Amino acid sequence: MGELIKRAIDTIKAEFNSYSTGVKIALGVMFFLTAGFVIFGIQILFWGLGYTDMSNLYPFGQWIIGDLGLVSLGGGAFTTGFALYIFRNDKLEPIINSTVLIGFLCYLFTFIFLVFDIGQPLRAWFGYTYPNWGEHLMPTSMLTEVIWCLTLYFMILCVEIVPVALKHKVLDAIPALHYVGHYLHRIMWILAAAGTFLSFFHQGSLGGGMWDIMYGKAVWFRAHHIYFFVVIIGATAGGTAFMTLCAYLAGKVMKKEVVPAETFHSIAKISGILFVAFFIARLVDVVLMATRWVPLFDRSYISLQGGLYGLWLLVLEFLLLAVVIVMLLPKKNREQEKRFLIGIIAGVAAITTDKLITVLNGSSVPNFPWRDYIWYWPTIQEWFIMLGGLSVMAMIYMWCAKYLPLFPHAEKHAHHEGKSQAVAE
Amino acid sequence: MKMKRRWGMAIDLDLCTGCGDCALACAQENNMPVFEDDSDLPKRVQFLDLMKVSNDRDAAYPDVEVCYIPKMCQQCEGNDPKNPKPPCVSVCPVVATDVGDDGIVSQIWSRCIGCRYCQASCPYEARAFNWWKPRYEGDFKKSLNPDVSVASRGTVVKCQFCSHIWKRERDRAVAGGELDINAVTYTPACVAACPTRAMVFGDLDDPGSELSRLLSREKKRTFRLIHTIDEMKEKDEKKWKAMMQAKNYPNPKVYYLTSKAWIKEMMKFK
Repeated sequence: MGELIKRAIDTIKAEFNSYSTGVKIALGVMFFLTAGFVIFGIQILFWGLGYTDMSNLYPFGQWIIGDLGLVSLGGGAFTTGFALYIFRNDKLEPIINSTVLIGFLCYLFTFIFLVFDIGQPLRAWFGYTYPNWGEHLMPTSMLTEVIWCLTLYFMILCVEIVPVALKHKVLDAIPALHYVGHYLHRIMWILAAAGTFLSFFHQGSLGGGMWDIMYGKAVWFRAHHIYFFVVIIGATAGGTAFMTLCAYLAGKVMKKEVVPAETFHSIAKISGILFVAFFIARLVDVVLMATRWVPLFDRSYISLQGGLYGLWLLVLEFLLLAVVIVMLLPKKNREQEKRFLIGIIAGVAAITTDKLITVLNGSSVPNFPWRDYIWYWPTIQEWFIMLGGLSVMAMIYMWCAKYLPLFPHAEKHAHHEGKSQAVAE
Repeated sequence: MKMKRRWGMAIDLDLCTGCGDCALACAQENNMPVFEDDSDLPKRVQFLDLMKVSNDRDAAYPDVEVCYIPKMCQQCEGNDPKNPKPPCVSVCPVVATDVGDDGIVSQIWSRCIGCRYCQASCPYEARAFNWWKPRYEGDFKKSLNPDVSVASRGTVVKCQFCSHIWKRERDRAVAGGELDINAVTYTPACVAACPTRAMVFGDLDDPGSELSRLLSREKKRTFRLIHTIDEMKEKDEKKWKAMMQAKNYPNPKVYYLTSKAWIKEMMKFK
């Protein structure tokens, strides 16, 4: 046993030492955050949510923002899969393994954050056994729909990731596993289509429908599920930008070309077009909110944009959206590395800001005219669980990028480089 | 849904002295836990909150006026009283909360997973979450009400118009030979405790109930919490109809009465 632990520690040490100084520092910070994630996670699970800054007046906090953000950005997996397998955009082939892994991690950690966020984690299975389906086929509660749809899509992501894992040289050497991986890869378009179908629903329901259905709240309500459709477009746009950003960062850390430039340009173009659609949809949404839905509550839209997280966030979102469009839509901009990078970062930031507006501003709006806006600042427990969770995600991604064929293009490239180096020597 | 009862309440704010007896009686009847730091108001578990409202906080005597508004679950029913759709019920992912044919929005503590979606959807902040493990120190345990289950940590709880008292009264009536159990009436703890009789409870569908008679007699003094669409009905009925078609409104079954114009004015968002 002692020998095993020693070997594990040695492996971790060797792994740690294989990186450059900058990455080592980043890994150190991530290990620290992960340690906090474990410690405070135990505290929250065993002693309750009293240690958070959420309250009866502010029931949704940082973890819900994380859930919305992760699902929305993880939505890039289904968009890329759909573009590759259904629209046959073969330029996206080199990035698809990476997007599947990121999608898988985003959804996995959405579940993990949800487990922390609900007051009774041991009753989480009630969502499956006592679902609020109502009388008809469509679920009554948007959260029921989210629970079921997320679970089914997560299962699909699990199957989608199997061929990637099976391509590891040790596993691929076993003939049976090789064939399983091969045939799973061939039916991937079915999974991509099913994933798109499911993802459409839960992107809409978690990001939009869950909020616009609350007819008692002026800040969230929209009739006809308008926000439901707005956030689907947002997820496809932001998700593709996020997938691109992750692959770009992986290339920088690994110091090699993980994905060919034409893949980046192709996905950036898709993202740019989708961001134009999102910009228009969000603008229509804001205009409809201001002119139709909020006045039904005898309130004005601008009065809901006060407090600490009000109007500036809304302005910031539209500014970021404008930056993405300018940087990603014109060909000459997206093919210039710096502008391309600014574009995809702004895209991820715009979608994150959209989620901040939904949760942070939405929860802070006073329910009674004599009350002020509520101020929420996550406690150390909330910060560590959130950032620690993201660190674990990043580390799993880094490990997979190194040991699994996440980037087939880079491997081919490295192979050629290795050959030429050997020749030179 | 065929409604057997439509329990509602009226609170006369002109009679309310803000003594807090209603909140106390509610806490005792419904096994409210006491926490180490109960001054942490946003995390306190209580069904009945006594809100203090002032016409002008900066004004000095005699210009300053204060009003106490006892606020519990407003037992919303949505636009159609015959098919109640409170904002908090449809959102629950595990059917832990429901509205019965007595019009009461109920909650099963032991079914709740603590997602707090109902809390977020409630426009009246009427629901409380057990942020900490409920504690009942010393002799307090002996005074717990066996008719109300003690909630676990991490669950949402709410006022249910003390519906367990109705069940108790119905059991008693059946034992006494009564056949129509729905004919039985009851009084929630807060109403029974009010020393000035500011709170009246009854069936809104029964024109003979004390509540219905009070509301039809005092129409001008009546209003509902931040429910300004009621005013629209008087001002412009056509617009009111269009608004009711555009969306569901909470349509609470708790009414407030006052003769002070500033209190009604306070219900409007500026």
